[in-house]
Amino acid sequence: MIPTLLGITIVVFAISRMAPGDPVSLAMGPGGMMDAQRAADVRATRMRLYGLDKPVHVQYATWLWRVVRLDFGDSIKHHREVIDLIKERLPITLTLNIISFVIIYAVSIPMGILSAVGRKKFLDRASSVMLLMLWSLPSMWVGQMLIGYLCGPPINWFPPAGLSSNYAEQLAFFPWLADRLWHLVLPIVCLTYAGFAYLTKQVRAGMLDNLRADYVRTARAKGLSNWAVIFRHAFRNSIIPVITIMATLLPAMFGGSVIIERIFSVSGMGLLAFEAVTTRDYNVVMGVATIAGFLNLVGLLLADIAYAIVDPRISFESAE
Amino acid sequence: MNGRLGLVTFFIFLFLLLMIVFQVLSMVQADRLYERLNQLLDRLSSAGSVRVAQESQESKQADLPGKEYPGDEGDWLVSVEMGEPRTLNPISVENSIEARDIYARNIIEPLFYYDLDYDGVKLVPVLAESMEVSEEKLEITVVLKKDIWFSDGVPVTADDVIFTYETMMNPEVDAADLRNYYDNVRQVVKVDDRTVKFILKELYWQTVESVGVFDVLPRHIYKFSDPKEFNARRSNPAGSGPYIFDKWDVGQQVVLRRNDNYWGKKPKLNRLVFKFISNSSAALQALRSHDIDTLEPSSEQFFELSNDEQFKKDFYTLSYWRPSHGYSYIGWNQAREFFKDRGVRLAMTHAINRPAIVEYIQKGYGKIVTGPFYIYGKQSDPNIKPWPFDLEKAKQLLDEAGWRDTDGDGIRDKDGLPFRFKLSYPSGNETYERIIKMLKDDTAKIGVDMIPDPVEWSIFLDRMNRRVFDAAASGWGGTIESDPYQLFHSSQIQRRGNNYVGFNNAEADSIMEQARRTLNPEKRYELYHRLHQIIHEEQPYTFLVTRPTYTLLDKRFENVKVHKLGIDFLEWYVPKDKQKYK
Repeated sequence: MIPTLLGITIVVFAISRMAPGDPVSLAMGPGGMMDAQRAADVRATRMRLYGLDKPVHVQYATWLWRVVRLDFGDSIKHHREVIDLIKERLPITLTLNIISFVIIYAVSIPMGILSAVGRKKFLDRASSVMLLMLWSLPSMWVGQMLIGYLCGPPINWFPPAGLSSNYAEQLAFFPWLADRLWHLVLPIVCLTYAGFAYLTKQVRAGMLDNLRADYVRTARAKGLSNWAVIFRHAFRNSIIPVITIMATLLPAMFGGSVIIERIFSVSGMGLLAFEAVTTRDYNVVMGVATIAGFLNLVGLLLADIAYAIVDPRISFESAE
Repeated sequence: MNGRLGLVTFFIFLFLLLMIVFQVLSMVQADRLYERLNQLLDRLSSAGSVRVAQESQESKQADLPGKEYPGDEGDWLVSVEMGEPRTLNPISVENSIEARDIYARNIIEPLFYYDLDYDGVKLVPVLAESMEVSEEKLEITVVLKKDIWFSDGVPVTADDVIFTYETMMNPEVDAADLRNYYDNVRQVVKVDDRTVKFILKELYWQTVESVGVFDVLPRHIYKFSDPKEFNARRSNPAGSGPYIFDKWDVGQQVVLRRNDNYWGKKPKLNRLVFKFISNSSAALQALRSHDIDTLEPSSEQFFELSNDEQFKKDFYTLSYWRPSHGYSYIGWNQAREFFKDRGVRLAMTHAINRPAIVEYIQKGYGKIVTGPFYIYGKQSDPNIKPWPFDLEKAKQLLDEAGWRDTDGDGIRDKDGLPFRFKLSYPSGNETYERIIKMLKDDTAKIGVDMIPDPVEWSIFLDRMNRRVFDAAASGWGGTIESDPYQLFHSSQIQRRGNNYVGFNNAEADSIMEQARRTLNPEKRYELYHRLHQIIHEEQPYTFLVTRPTYTLLDKRFENVKVHKLGIDFLEWYVPKDKQKYK
């Protein structure tokens, strides 16, 4: 796991430094309207201040040594610790993603089971076409359309931006919660609708494989009821691929969605990462990438452990 | 089997049908815009010119200058910022327009501020009482007002001015940009508690302005032992202004509340809320549903809404000129074979259809720019007329410069070099995108092959700095009066200076040097008029266009006036019966 993580950081570090431009020139921009001599001095001072005047491998070593001590350094743009920036934005991204995650699973699993059981019947066909349709709509466009038609007069059902109303602070807890949820509806719609298709297909395919398997036939032959066969036998086995997907979703939850966050003016991890890349804020880019990489690896590990729990055939105890 | 296929076909049809419905929905918007465009063009041709009529603003009470603003107290102003500031530290280099919108004049006050009713630089006292400039001694003496205090009651004194200056000049403090404006100040000395002297290195008119608009920070709040501590201080701005910082909900908003302990003329609005909305159409919807009170729309949005009677019942649609918009331009890199010849640059200007940019892209609201100064300012020579759009003239100029199509491939050439160049511009900007498409067509007509080259902003900057571009389209922000020295003086060609295009003209150089030392405004304007003429003749840039500022504002606000330098919400109020927030 550690060599992989190291590899990830080296690649990200190299790419970020190879990209043209640097944070100092960008911050100074063209609009500094500075005398040329003065600008050159200022540039040099700031490069030194951020340690950007040293050779790249030295910069990497310095960075790595700090990270080993769990210090991700300061953001060049924000003058704050990277970890603070992440702490500030992570809750927003997590709220959005956990809710959509739960919704996707809550809808897709029953949907997949129903499709598989009623294979090639109306519900199966209808749902797969509908989900495919949803899946093929670009979220950027859907977001703009939702804002254009559902927010603002004459319909005015949802707020077009932000996370709370102007008067939110004067509200008691439950009205406040309602207000927050009301603001979250549209972003969550955009985050979820495309996920249904993929996961439903996975569940359906897994179920079909298992429903055809011999042990299911045996179970039926034993005289078990149809639903008992489906849930106790087929479903438990077909959940395995779904767990793998869950593992890959973990870093996505951390990373956030640049597009959705931008459209709905939600300042989460996606925007932070995006902004850091465009402003060449190296420490933030590295911080986000390292943590996302780490979570990815943790996700995979968790998936392995989960396999063992769900699948009785897999065990971590050494075979004797 | 047939039955099932039928079902699939049905859904596919349903899907296609839905797609068509969505398509139609998204086209409705475009259509509406198009209709409005035609209406406006009709009106343009009948009326001759469009200068948007300002809303009638009869204020119900007479404005008593100096004493108090008119109207009832109460209510909030909720406005929108497209981006979230990284810091509200007033002297940090990361300071942005958004940050200034929030703290400048509201929380942190300058010594003087511009007279909003004068279209030049005329400073009116804020914290200072008077300012005296001694040309012989190279000194500016500023006397502070008598009874002034910060929001916590601590008096504003000369020590605060000196503290702010010294902090800014501390090389460890990240204030490079600002330092540049005060580079010409050798020292600031305290004369007494209310008097400070700025001692200058040399005479330079802009230093006088910079000293005038100098923001004063409270020393007892901002003082630090380690500069890093100061750099990291990003929130909780404090000062002497009419508003106090209340809170910053990261990712959402900054809230200011009225300073009831303010030393001066108290504004009427209780709170200022700055919401961060990154999506402009979402911001507009928020305005329409009265979640926010004001925003500055794009030309297209403004164009649509200012013709929407229903919308105008609830909102003011203001359009006014102010310097900060700046201008867009195309810079010709004179280190390139094509553009070192003045005739070629002039030909390019003649080949650019600037009237069409104003008419189609700016919906008739914009203006063609001829020089680097604010078009309604005093530095700009009003007698200079823009070069016309004239393809025949352009062809003739290129012929004269020796660029002819000798090999019959439709592209002019000279000494075997075909006239083919890249026009670089920052990617992702729809306006540039559209301007450059028009340009490509027109240059093709005069036998010049222009290749559009959109580049990411950081790469764009890098190329400009290293001079590795043929031509570049970009823009400069504006101020009431600006010093073109950084852009066009030959000393700024070297070392990544801002003279990207390599403009080198001895007369222009000497005028710019002389103008910097001329404190008398009338004499200085004369010099700048001459410079404007030279730049117009030489065309180091093809100056494109500028546009007015648009503001949409909820009609519950009253006493909304459009000054020569823009609008000022400190004077607005909402009558008691219309107040929305408690």
